[in-house]
Amino acid sequence: MIGTFRGLYTALKHAFRSPVTLNYPDEQPKLSPRFMAHPVLTWDHGIEEPYCTGCLICMRICPTDVITVSMKDNDKFKLEESKRRKIVDDFELDVAGCIMCGLCVEYCNFDAIIMSDKFNESVTDRNTEVHSLDELLEEGKEQQAKGRWSPPAVKKSQRRSAAQVVTKDGQGATTDSANAPDNRVALAREKAAALRASRELDKKNKESSEKGNN
Amino acid sequence: MTLTSFLTIIAIVFVMFNTALVGVLAVIYAERKVLARLQQRIGPSRTGPWGILQTMADAVKLVLKEDVRPAESDKVVFYLAPLVIFTPIFMLWAVLPLDSTKVLSDIDLGLLYVAAILGLSVVGMVLAGWSSNSKYAMLGSARSAAQLISYELPLILSALGVGLLAQLYSDTPFNLSEIVRAQLSIPFIFVMPLGFVLFMIGALAETARIPFDIPHADEEIVGGAFVEYSGIRWGTFQLAEYTGLITMSVLASILFLGGWNGPFSEKLTWLQPLYLMSKTGFIILLTFWIRAPLPRLRIDQLMAFAWKVIIPISFLNLIIISSALFTGKQLGISDDVVKGIIALLSIISLLLVTYFIGRRRRKRLNNYRARWGSN
Repeated sequence: MIGTFRGLYTALKHAFRSPVTLNYPDEQPKLSPRFMAHPVLTWDHGIEEPYCTGCLICMRICPTDVITVSMKDNDKFKLEESKRRKIVDDFELDVAGCIMCGLCVEYCNFDAIIMSDKFNESVTDRNTEVHSLDELLEEGKEQQAKGRWSPPAVKKSQRRSAAQVVTKDGQGATTDSANAPDNRVALAREKAAALRASRELDKKNKESSEKGNN
Repeated sequence: MTLTSFLTIIAIVFVMFNTALVGVLAVIYAERKVLARLQQRIGPSRTGPWGILQTMADAVKLVLKEDVRPAESDKVVFYLAPLVIFTPIFMLWAVLPLDSTKVLSDIDLGLLYVAAILGLSVVGMVLAGWSSNSKYAMLGSARSAAQLISYELPLILSALGVGLLAQLYSDTPFNLSEIVRAQLSIPFIFVMPLGFVLFMIGALAETARIPFDIPHADEEIVGGAFVEYSGIRWGTFQLAEYTGLITMSVLASILFLGGWNGPFSEKLTWLQPLYLMSKTGFIILLTFWIRAPLPRLRIDQLMAFAWKVIIPISFLNLIIISSALFTGKQLGISDDVVKGIIALLSIISLLLVTYFIGRRRRKRLNNYRARWGSN
């Protein structure tokens, strides 16, 4: 009985609060910086070419198989304008099937793909849901202009290998070691060389022991 | 009957019918907007300024929809049922006094007429459920028959208390206009709050609104007696429901809130309909407010609540009023003192009933916890 009156009081209290819903097309929601709509491609304004090298990692990792990529030789590499040997030839994204999981962004080694904030992408024609390379690059430029993404100082591949070496050594990740990626890469190469050498030694021992047995 | 009087009746019915239609549109819009505010939403906002044309758009859509009749249904009864539901509710308006002069038929047994006509809408529900040849519709109509018959008793009994009280002022205490005039000094809600609470519970159940909307129960029987109806026939059911809500609110404000009485209403007669409308609006808002936080009762809880709690309390209410009036008359006590005694007893019994219902609930909860051992 008291609960009933308490419920009535709660309803009355909420009537005088401002509504939590929006008058949508007139008012736009405030999105968080981490908001994820479908992925788009980034644009390297320094060289005027996409970051994407067409390495196919996003295509392989995509859980719903909505990404299609192909690769070509980079003409600007021959002219020594760019450091990228290969560049993306064609890129298609079927937004209708995209589940906005962000795995392509997670796995991309070249900071070439980011999640956009374009949540209101409904269309009346199903064919227009497939976004071409040019459309994706344009959307990426919009996102960069909005300030949702800017090119990082250190390449992602280097950031990642640095982090992996630290955890393998078990020395604990410090900010200094993270800021010195070259050192870490060299350490990793040394370690890999040592591992190779020990394996070859094992192989030789094995072969010699087999010979001895015979 | 002369031609002119016939035409007058046609004109009055036309005007009242359209007033009811516009009133229903307004009430549905108000319900959606108020309910949205109570749930921290915006409510209809796209159709017209502030969404005021939303119900109009819904009505147009209902009219344009295809009128489907199930193949195995009883055709005549199926088409008759919406009219049978709507007519009795509309018939109630014949005796409701809108101000001191405007009442279609000022009959002396107005309260009895209301009681008689209220029972008729059950017939329409049963006809609709039976003729649809659908198990959901049948279940819904059976539920609504059970509910309406059960809750008519407390409704009529508490209205009877008003009639008893009006005996102090008038020789024809069942005349609704006389009941309103009897509340000139003090509205009956202050004399018999217990009766008002009982009447409101009965009215909520009669109009099948939350928490008593078991006849429709969208989640269980997908709409009740009118599942099989579509288009404007379904709209007629909605119309009947909301007209019923307005009628019940007008009745409640006439019986308990003093009808068209208010400050300066004796001299400025144009104020009287405004007073009645604002009181009706207050009651309607009260039903919206009750609707927002409360869940639906189960059918056995509903029937148990009616027969074990509400109807005995209605008799208690009647006993309090009649015994106080009788002893007051025998001992020659003045009317105001008698009214005060009734108000006191009414409030005490209301508090006692609330306490006992809460205690019973706590006991059952404790038993449940002792048995199943959760927190």
